[in-house]
Amino acid sequence: MRRFTKKELAQYNGKDGALAFIACEGKVYDVSRSFLWQDGRHQVLHIAGVDLTASLDQAPHGADLLERFSVVGMLEEN
Amino acid sequence: MAKVTREMVERAGVDVDQLLELLVKNAAAELTTYYYYTILRVNLIDLEGEGVKEIAEVARIEDRNHFEALVPRIYELGGELPQDMKKFHDMSACPPAYLPEDLTDVKAILTVLVEAERCAVRGYTQICNMTAGKDHRTYDLALAILNEEIEHESWFSEFLGEGPSGHFMRRGETSPFVSKFLK
Repeated sequence: MRRFTKKELAQYNGKDGALAFIACEGKVYDVSRSFLWQDGRHQVLHIAGVDLTASLDQAPHGADLLERFSVVGMLEEN
Repeated sequence: MAKVTREMVERAGVDVDQLLELLVKNAAAELTTYYYYTILRVNLIDLEGEGVKEIAEVARIEDRNHFEALVPRIYELGGELPQDMKKFHDMSACPPAYLPEDLTDVKAILTVLVEAERCAVRGYTQICNMTAGKDHRTYDLALAILNEEIEHESWFSEFLGEGPSGHFMRRGETSPFVSKFLK
């Protein structure tokens, strides 16, 4: 499975036709086709291309919702 | 716009532009849900579907009421609705509640309905969290809507066999929590 650095992940921000990937708890998910991630933005507060693990604590849903999306890689810790 | 109203909310630490975008997106979700629920409701037929039709109708009317209740708050805070209805639809806080392919599959229709309600419950929980103790009027409104969305979710969930809703469906007027914002 592909491994992403944070810099590589940042390229998948969903803007200008780019794919939208997000990371959570080490996994990288492809949310490009989600209605709720249009243009790489989610519910005003979140953007694609970043690790959202910390933000999930404040979100009104758990990590289980991410299981609806395909995992396209793993996020490197450094 | 109510200038002092907006100022009070800003001074309490709320990012009002961010809040307004969320309110507009949720207003879009309510109006589009009202539209899609109309189609879902008319397709709830036969022995199985007829039993669900009444709660789908109540949820449909109450979602329209939520849209009506949200609009004044959006303008009070200095926001506005988009001119273009297509843009409004596409910026919704929840995905379109499309009719499933198999029109005879009542469980599939119920799944669409419960998913829409769950999206709404998440959305208003987020707005309540953002405004609690800071923007009292938006909080009061979002909490009233949240109360009704939770009931809708529990009704549909009960029909899906996920457990009892714990209460009866509406008797009498719709929107027992939101009606005070519609007077």
